[in-house]
Amino acid sequence: MLKVTLRGLLAHKLRLSLTAVAIVLGIAFVSSTFVVGDTINNVFGAIFTDANQGIAVVVEGQPLAGASQDIGGGQRLPVPAALVPTVRQVSGAKEADGIIFRTGATLLSPSGKPIGGSGPPTFGANWVDSPTSPYHLRSGHSPQAADDIVVDAATAAANGIHVGQTTQMVFNGGPRQTFHVSGIAGYGSADNVAGATITLFTTPTAMRVLDTQGNFDQIAVLSASGVGDATLRDRVAAVLPANMVAQTGGAQANQQKQATQSIISILSTALLVFGLIALFVGSFLIVNTFTILIAQRSRELALLRALGATRRQVMVSVLIEALLTGLVASAIGAGLGILLAIGLARLLGFSLTNGGLTVSPRSFIVSIAVGTIVTVLAAILPARRATRVAPMAALRDAVPEAQPLTRRRIIGGAITAAIGVILLGVGLFTSTDQTLPLLGLGTLALFIGIAYLAPLLVRPVAGALGRPLARLRGVPGRLARENAMRSPRRTASTAAALMIGVALIAAVAVIAASFKASGESAIVGSVNAQLLVTDTSSQAGFSNNDAATLRADPRLADVTEVRANSIVAASANQSLLGIDPAEINHTVTFDMVNGDAGSIADAQNVLIDDTTANARGWTAGTVLTVQFPYAPTTTTKRVGGVYRGNALISGFVVSLATYAASFPTQRDIAILANPAPGQSLTAANKAMTSDLNAYPTLTIQTKQQFVDANSASIDQAQSLIDVLLVLSIVIAALGVVNTLALSVLERARELGLLRALGLTRRQTRSMVRWEAVIIALLGALLGLVIGAGMGAAVVRALADQGLSKLSVPASQLLAYVVAAFVIGVLAAVLPARRAARLNILDAIASE
Amino acid sequence: MTEELAARPDAPPLAASKPAARAVNATKVFGRDDAAVRALDDLTVDFAAGHFTAIMGPSGSGKSTLLHCLAGLDALTSGHVFIGDTELGALKDTELTLLRRRRVGFIFQSFNLVPTLNALDNITLPLAIAGEPANAELLKEVVGSIGLTDRLGHRPSELSGGQQQRVAAARALVSRPDIIFADEPTGNLDSRSGAELLGFLRTAVENFMQTIVMVTHDPLAAAYADRVVFIADGKTVNEMTSPTAEGILDIMKHLGA
Repeated sequence: MLKVTLRGLLAHKLRLSLTAVAIVLGIAFVSSTFVVGDTINNVFGAIFTDANQGIAVVVEGQPLAGASQDIGGGQRLPVPAALVPTVRQVSGAKEADGIIFRTGATLLSPSGKPIGGSGPPTFGANWVDSPTSPYHLRSGHSPQAADDIVVDAATAAANGIHVGQTTQMVFNGGPRQTFHVSGIAGYGSADNVAGATITLFTTPTAMRVLDTQGNFDQIAVLSASGVGDATLRDRVAAVLPANMVAQTGGAQANQQKQATQSIISILSTALLVFGLIALFVGSFLIVNTFTILIAQRSRELALLRALGATRRQVMVSVLIEALLTGLVASAIGAGLGILLAIGLARLLGFSLTNGGLTVSPRSFIVSIAVGTIVTVLAAILPARRATRVAPMAALRDAVPEAQPLTRRRIIGGAITAAIGVILLGVGLFTSTDQTLPLLGLGTLALFIGIAYLAPLLVRPVAGALGRPLARLRGVPGRLARENAMRSPRRTASTAAALMIGVALIAAVAVIAASFKASGESAIVGSVNAQLLVTDTSSQAGFSNNDAATLRADPRLADVTEVRANSIVAASANQSLLGIDPAEINHTVTFDMVNGDAGSIADAQNVLIDDTTANARGWTAGTVLTVQFPYAPTTTTKRVGGVYRGNALISGFVVSLATYAASFPTQRDIAILANPAPGQSLTAANKAMTSDLNAYPTLTIQTKQQFVDANSASIDQAQSLIDVLLVLSIVIAALGVVNTLALSVLERARELGLLRALGLTRRQTRSMVRWEAVIIALLGALLGLVIGAGMGAAVVRALADQGLSKLSVPASQLLAYVVAAFVIGVLAAVLPARRAARLNILDAIASE
Repeated sequence: MTEELAARPDAPPLAASKPAARAVNATKVFGRDDAAVRALDDLTVDFAAGHFTAIMGPSGSGKSTLLHCLAGLDALTSGHVFIGDTELGALKDTELTLLRRRRVGFIFQSFNLVPTLNALDNITLPLAIAGEPANAELLKEVVGSIGLTDRLGHRPSELSGGQQQRVAAARALVSRPDIIFADEPTGNLDSRSGAELLGFLRTAVENFMQTIVMVTHDPLAAAYADRVVFIADGKTVNEMTSPTAEGILDIMKHLGA
């Protein structure tokens, strides 16, 4: 029996090859995700271990209230400089160095463009001549003069920076400053930290340019010989004030590693999801291929049964075929994944110079296992069908009959789809911490349910789509329509594979369009200023001197800063905006539910958005206890008013004066302004541009440009997701090719007859092509309806998060239909050629 | 039989009529070198217009190959075949296809109909492929004569074998081709259905002056023809006009079939 199976496999290897390609693609994606994840983890692990080599103890401030965990400092209380000598005097401490490491230092390239841009972060740090320093000079000397800098080796190499050169820098959106490159250094044994740009200064310069107000971010302590790290840690901890903590260098390295790992695991999980979607789509292809092959081989299977093979043997034979196909394809896919991983790492802007890819056996084993299991599972239903072939079928002229749509199938499909909808509803509209698994399972169930029900739609939809075809294209169109309808299950499952990709893309399109519409409505509704200044190089905010420069310009009016931070209220992190109450209605507007926006002129008052207020039961007059991040204790504030939140403004709002009193550093996230009376917008824009000439990282936008930039960033995110979903579409298109190719083989005699009766090759190709188009359009239409529905549901569920407008991008969805049409035409090329080249005599003679 | 021919004063005498199709020095070799088989060996034959000709011969005699080459479904190794004055060897695939569509009708042994189309659509299929309207009167007459008026809406799977073959015959007739090629059309039918089909073909020859060339191995079927051409080893070896089943059997015995 095994021999028969293997012979069958070899005989059908061509027919199985497209199925194999689908598995290969899906698994390549999955395995590359593993490889990239492992590689990044390993490289980071090595970097942090390297960097902390020899450091016994690290002293840091307590994490700030309301701050999220992040790499790069600024999220903890700063360490007072006066603490360094205290720590150095602890018995057993050989050396203690104050360390600064913060974002906000931007190098400018020779052409004046910020290096780094929106890519990997840029950091500034102080150079410490000590064994605790992870930086090792590659050339030149350490920074000694106030304007000396040392640049990391990777950045220097990428931008042609060399020792002795003069270069310009910008700090936190401020004006250009000139520095002198005194040296190039590596980080540990690496060129830099995974693509991040690091610039090193003397300690006094670092304190000045990074605005540390005389503080450090850490103290690194070296132990004298014979003193254990833990012992030293405890001794150091004993001399620290309550808001400072000490941990061992090893613990610090682990903590840094975990922080990066958690970020990377989000990334690789996201990528893995796309790989699994591709495999899910591929599984439709597998089911379809095996179903068709078994239908075509029913005579052969019946013969085996007539010769005494048991049902079990037939089933095992089909499953072994699936197992071998899955195994071979997954192995190829896992191998291909390594190549893909190199590309993916490049795409993520991650340099592989340090030690190359990490290919663990796990990546291979898991990938191959996943691919094989998916293939075998997908083959089980067709295999069961194979066991039902009666031995009598061997004697009949077995032209594969269309599988009837059973009642059981309809009910099963409806129930599965309903479960999917319920899971999606629960995931979206109730508060649960299992949102993502619920959405994932719900979507899966919905797709499977619809795929089961889709054959019901084949006749009406394909019939309707094909009607104009039959009219326009004559007999080929007519036959294409009939062919698409003759085996509803085959057409449906081929279309369903395409449906999945299209549905996800359509859902993303609806969500993205709604984000854009909500963003635009929020900006138009809340911003009265005609000009806005933002910093493209940093999200940490920019220096407050910039606004002062603009305020001095008589051509501008209503110049006001917007500042942002976060605080803790009702034991949750809340965002906080600082605005000038005098400028309300000139630059920003609040749509008040109750209370008065102007009330924040009183430092005791705050504004809060309606969603938060409703959830907590707050209203104008409510007194709250809040924790400001740098304040040692909590304070009370009074709700001065509740406003309608939107995509741009939500959370707490206080006056700039209150903000200044609560935070040690004053950085703007935006400056708003209007043209002075009598000045045109163009003139004011020009004035602003010349005022901010020295500030290369600041961007001046009109309100409309701000709206457009907001839309553009959403477009960018959307196209990134679309690119990742294209893989599923490609696999679904392969499915269309596969189904048509198998159908052409199956209908060889019919094609021969048609050719004999005078159907030209061109008409034959046209017939196959239009069948493909009908299948593709069916998939696209199903996908669009389901996707738009899912997208709308997500938008409604996120209405509280500022997604106030539901927008269905009709022209975009229409473009997807056109794309599906093109996919159909392309998918038909090879099967159509095969059908047209068919030898008429062979086809008629084949008995 | 002579009386029967005399009863058709419009029928041109066999020898004098212009051939609807002919093969001249037709040679067809399958395979190469040692494995080469000469299916047709310098064969020359004419098929008179307006007549029903049967081709007979033992298995492997080349009779089906001859039919396929005459119909433009296969190409000769050397020699020429003509439909009317058109030499098929000179035609490209599309020209051949158009020729089959316009001037040739087919009835095969089995699998004659497109399973997705109903009987009526199968009958008008060649016209539809060509984008030409069916002659409504002719269609009605043909459909009436095959006795399937009430089954036109049925798909092939809902028709009996005999009904399917009659639909195929109607399809061949409705486009009024210059010549109809029938390849063992009764091969899969019981004797009664076979007789019905042959009677129908005979009537078409009588009523519409339809030219028909039929390959068969059944002397009873061949007896419906005006003339029987006997082929053995790729050559014409004998022929008989106004054949009878007994006469055919006699010749076939000599051919060793």
